[in-house]
Amino acid sequence: MEDIEDTDLVALEHDRLISAVSKLDKTQHITEPTRNEPTNLNSEFNLIKRTNKLNIDNVAKVLEDTAHHVQISKKLKKTQSGAKVLSKPLEKPQAERIKRATGYEETKKKVGRWDPVVARSRTVDYVTFPIKHVSAKLEPTSDFLTKFKLKSELEKELEEVDPQPMVEDEEEEEPIFPKSYEEMVEYRQHLAKMRAQQSYKAAKAKRQSKIKSKKFHRVLKKEKLKQELKEFEELQKRDPEEALKKLEGIEKARALERHTLRHKSTGKWAKNKLIRAKYDKEVRQQLADQLSVGRSLTKKVQDNQSSDDEGDDEPTPNFTLSQDPFNPWMVQRSDKSNVNAEFDFGYKKFVQNKINKHKESDDSDSDENDVSDKDISYAKSSHPEPKEEKLTVTKAIKEKLTAPKSKKGKKAAAKSKAKKPLATSNWDVETVDDTDNKPKDNLEYLKLKKQKPKAVIDEELLESSSKTAEGMANEEKDETISELVKAAQTPVQESADSNIDPNRFIEVKPKYLNTAISQVENEYDQLDDDQVVPRVNIEEVFEEDDVVASFRQEKEDEINKDKPEDINLTLPGWGAWGGKGVKPQKRKRNRFILKAPPKMPRRDENKGDIIIKEFKDPKLAVHKVKDVPFPFESVKDYEASIRAPLGNTFIPEKAHKKLIRPSIITKAGKIIEPMDEEELLVPKNRNFKNQSVMKLLGRKK
Amino acid sequence: MKNPKKNAPKRYFDVEEKNSEQKQDVEVYTIKNNNNKRTDNKRIQKRKPNKNFKGKAPIDPEKLEAHSRGEGVGKGVKHPLHAEKLKKKERKYTYAQEQAARAEILLTEDHGGLEVDEDVKTTAISQKIIAENVDISAATKIFELNLDFGPYRAKYSRNGRHLLLGSKKGHLAAFDWVTKKLHFEINVMESIHDISWMHTETMVAAAQKEWLYMYDNTGTELHCVKKMDKILRMEFLPYHFLLAAVNEFGFMTWLDISIGEVVGHYNNHLGRTSVMAQNPYNATICLGNSKGVVSLWSPTIKEPLAKILCHKTPLTAIAVDNRGMYMATSGVDRSMKIWDIRNLDGPVQHYRLRSAPVDLEFSQKDMLAVGLDEVVEIYNNCCSQTTDRPYLRHRMAKTITNFKYCPYEDVLGIGTRSGFTSIIVPGSGEPNFDALESNPFQNKKQRKEAEVKALLDKIPAELITLNPFDITEVDVPSLQEQMEAKKKLLYLKPKKMDFTPRHKKKGKTQIARKKIIKQAARQEFIEQAKEAQKALDLPQPETAKKPSFGVLDRFVPTIKNKK
Repeated sequence: MEDIEDTDLVALEHDRLISAVSKLDKTQHITEPTRNEPTNLNSEFNLIKRTNKLNIDNVAKVLEDTAHHVQISKKLKKTQSGAKVLSKPLEKPQAERIKRATGYEETKKKVGRWDPVVARSRTVDYVTFPIKHVSAKLEPTSDFLTKFKLKSELEKELEEVDPQPMVEDEEEEEPIFPKSYEEMVEYRQHLAKMRAQQSYKAAKAKRQSKIKSKKFHRVLKKEKLKQELKEFEELQKRDPEEALKKLEGIEKARALERHTLRHKSTGKWAKNKLIRAKYDKEVRQQLADQLSVGRSLTKKVQDNQSSDDEGDDEPTPNFTLSQDPFNPWMVQRSDKSNVNAEFDFGYKKFVQNKINKHKESDDSDSDENDVSDKDISYAKSSHPEPKEEKLTVTKAIKEKLTAPKSKKGKKAAAKSKAKKPLATSNWDVETVDDTDNKPKDNLEYLKLKKQKPKAVIDEELLESSSKTAEGMANEEKDETISELVKAAQTPVQESADSNIDPNRFIEVKPKYLNTAISQVENEYDQLDDDQVVPRVNIEEVFEEDDVVASFRQEKEDEINKDKPEDINLTLPGWGAWGGKGVKPQKRKRNRFILKAPPKMPRRDENKGDIIIKEFKDPKLAVHKVKDVPFPFESVKDYEASIRAPLGNTFIPEKAHKKLIRPSIITKAGKIIEPMDEEELLVPKNRNFKNQSVMKLLGRKK
Repeated sequence: MKNPKKNAPKRYFDVEEKNSEQKQDVEVYTIKNNNNKRTDNKRIQKRKPNKNFKGKAPIDPEKLEAHSRGEGVGKGVKHPLHAEKLKKKERKYTYAQEQAARAEILLTEDHGGLEVDEDVKTTAISQKIIAENVDISAATKIFELNLDFGPYRAKYSRNGRHLLLGSKKGHLAAFDWVTKKLHFEINVMESIHDISWMHTETMVAAAQKEWLYMYDNTGTELHCVKKMDKILRMEFLPYHFLLAAVNEFGFMTWLDISIGEVVGHYNNHLGRTSVMAQNPYNATICLGNSKGVVSLWSPTIKEPLAKILCHKTPLTAIAVDNRGMYMATSGVDRSMKIWDIRNLDGPVQHYRLRSAPVDLEFSQKDMLAVGLDEVVEIYNNCCSQTTDRPYLRHRMAKTITNFKYCPYEDVLGIGTRSGFTSIIVPGSGEPNFDALESNPFQNKKQRKEAEVKALLDKIPAELITLNPFDITEVDVPSLQEQMEAKKKLLYLKPKKMDFTPRHKKKGKTQIARKKIIKQAARQEFIEQAKEAQKALDLPQPETAKKPSFGVLDRFVPTIKNKK
């Protein structure tokens, strides 16, 4: 084992040496990428990929000559045909999904056992806690006493002889003071120091954040960047894997960049520059710079595989950004710049500057850097990442694709613009007007819509009238067959009127009672007799027909007062001639005069000489319920639910107690433990059969 | 607690007979129960039937019906959990109903009555005969006070223990009429127009010549309410703590005596009205005017809730029975009418009398006392059916000003021109009293307790309406208005709501029946109209069919058909 490892190590080091040596050579080596996309075209952009699969036929062909080899070739072919290729393992998300699904089923089953318990405790009248009550059954005294036993003489003597060792409590209590005094003091001092430092830092940060100078911030940023880069380089040396992880942070930066407008040509600064760009080359460059930044940030992380095998690294071409910032080739080609591009804008710029500096300075310095870079690549190769494996598209292709993307996008945009009127033709009046069919459709659509609101208005008036039993009944009908009823209403009303019987009241025949004749009256009677005054019916004296007539008139007035009136919305003279004697058009009359809802029967209708005022008392309405609360859908049900009194002055005490019992009863001073699984076995829970409630509560979960 | 007021042996015999009948009834009911209540059967079957114990005694369905609170919640609630809970609540309500029906066994007392041979009329039994036949303590309830200060008005306190007398000439006296213990007796040196007990027997109100005064049970003046002047008549509404009064100028004043505030004060535009009665069912005040119209009033609404043209002549008296079912009115035209005041319908009965009644009064057991100058006639069962003769007649030598039945006693107290007369009217009072409601044997502590409880249970004045159950109803029209508001928000689906009220507003009168028929006729007509329309519209759908071009349909010109 060790030997193998040793040899591996030696090989690794050997490779590294070779790469280092090859790096001494500054010429560019374009190595063939190991993984390729199968393509037929052989262009400068994509290299043909050879499949790794071994073609058995080719192998067997070689062996065909001799008889012995024929056997082998046959065998080979047979194995090829007979062998079943292992099915590809499921994709990770898919596998996870399945795992989750089964896990869900399992958990659902497990949790579902509690459904009846929960449902029962919800539906039951009241729950008492704690659930497990100790049975209040008292043990018989004899049973209780049997538990106590006196020690026999023998036992006593034995104890004297061999006293039982005192069982010491072996509870390891946690020391109350885990630290010594000195330690405590130290610890506290340390804490205080930390706190002080924290506060200093916070104060500093606050102060700095309030500085408005741009230059200061720029310098600060640069410094930060430098610091970060330094750290990164250190990290590369120390822990390449960690560094790689840090590199992955780029993906996040990319996402952030994609949804901001930061490095686009839409900002105020960019717009100002754009104006000057025509005349000033440097400004143009700045703009291009900015855009390239954005582009580099939004670029997807590329496959680095190719760079691995490159082994050697050529010195980066000494390009300034002014040369061609858009050229992806230039940006991507060099391994270093590639990494930078993937990392961060700040890093990139910094590295580029650094590179430039290096170019000027010694080669040896750059070599060191290169080595470090190389380290990263090794780390990458040693660290298997599924992402890398999945990437099958060669860099070349990708880079090719990125260039026309912008063009394509523009085209698409143009297309979409061109398409826009087509797509929204239903809404664009102008384009639609040209065709003959569409406007009609549209009009019809509009018409229909208009008709609806009209109906709504009618309904509104219908429903606003007062509530009577008859009215309620009518309403529903009116809604359903509103049109028909409208057509049929007048005759119906007439027929209804004709149905009313003029002498509809059961005239109560007066019953003459043989009442006592009072002394006073008798005296009068006697007087009458004496003086022979003609007997006058008192009733006739007092009776005024006027009383009845005036009362009926009053009732009539009352009825008329409550009658809903048509609402006239016509504006005289609007769109027509106005003035005296000009009648509004029939069309307008129909349209603008909102017909009042049909009269609801009054409570005092057909009741003779009785007037019952029909109006809502706002003072009473304050006390009334306005909306039907949740589980109820009809007023009737709700009213039924509050029909019965609960007070003990209305119903027997026992029933009263039962009705006002709280839904949860807890015993004072008792700890309420959570339910355990024994609750599942309780017969009342097991026998709970209300499926609908269980389903409902299960669904809520 | 109640004294027998008539021939005891007869009564006891009767009661026994009744009991035996009931037993027979019960047997019949058990059979019914078995048929109707399957659930009960099930429950019983589940348990082992015990031969020694047959289970709870069956309940008289009639009694059960009497304690019913109406129809329960149906299957309108779809939410399973809440439906289940409501079901359980319904079960509790039925339990409460059953318990109440069972508790009737505790109402041990039965009301008395006069029973005579077939050829003898009950009117022949005078107070003298009654006094001879009842026990001594009951006989003491027949008494007469001869007082000098002109016509007297009398009122009993709510528990029937105390009596208040007020005379036109300023004599005001309150006493425990059973023990004849005098609380106070003063002369206010002014004319007293009306008197009233307050919520307890420690306070009385007297409407004097100018203002309303309040005295305690020692005759000390507590208040002089100058806001209420020249009061003619007043009524105290015990559950609302309201003193309703009407004055000479037709102003109604409602004084909340618990907070000392006037909650309603307005002109009723009826002119001088001295005929007033309260409806114990809904606490409305009935006023009768000189045009024969009875109007119902509440404190918050300045117009009458309802008006009934009762007589064509000026009204002399109004009385409303305890359950608020019937109202008796009488006019100068010497007629007396009974109205269905709950449904505001009528007249139910129409009687012609020989003279115009001075006063009318219903007892707790719906015996109507009619005062005819110096004769009091008591009618039994005169509302639901037409009687032809009075139950009792008492003739005095002095004219009547007013009379009141004593609650929980078979006693009628009559205020007369020259004093007060108390007579026994067998079977007029409620034999079983609820001590928590009003207790004739109340001691001081109980009185204090009851006062606090009553104050806690005080009903706001706004709740005085024709239908006392208005408060339990949902404010439906406003609900509909809300719906309209919601509908106005375009593209918002309106919540579905069933507006049918729990109680239809009308009983099944002849008129209602007619309406139903009319409704049916109307429905039929609509159906016919529909049919006709269908017949007319027949060609239309044919034209509606068009050849389809698939996607290209949109280019086919559509011709709008005018309807």
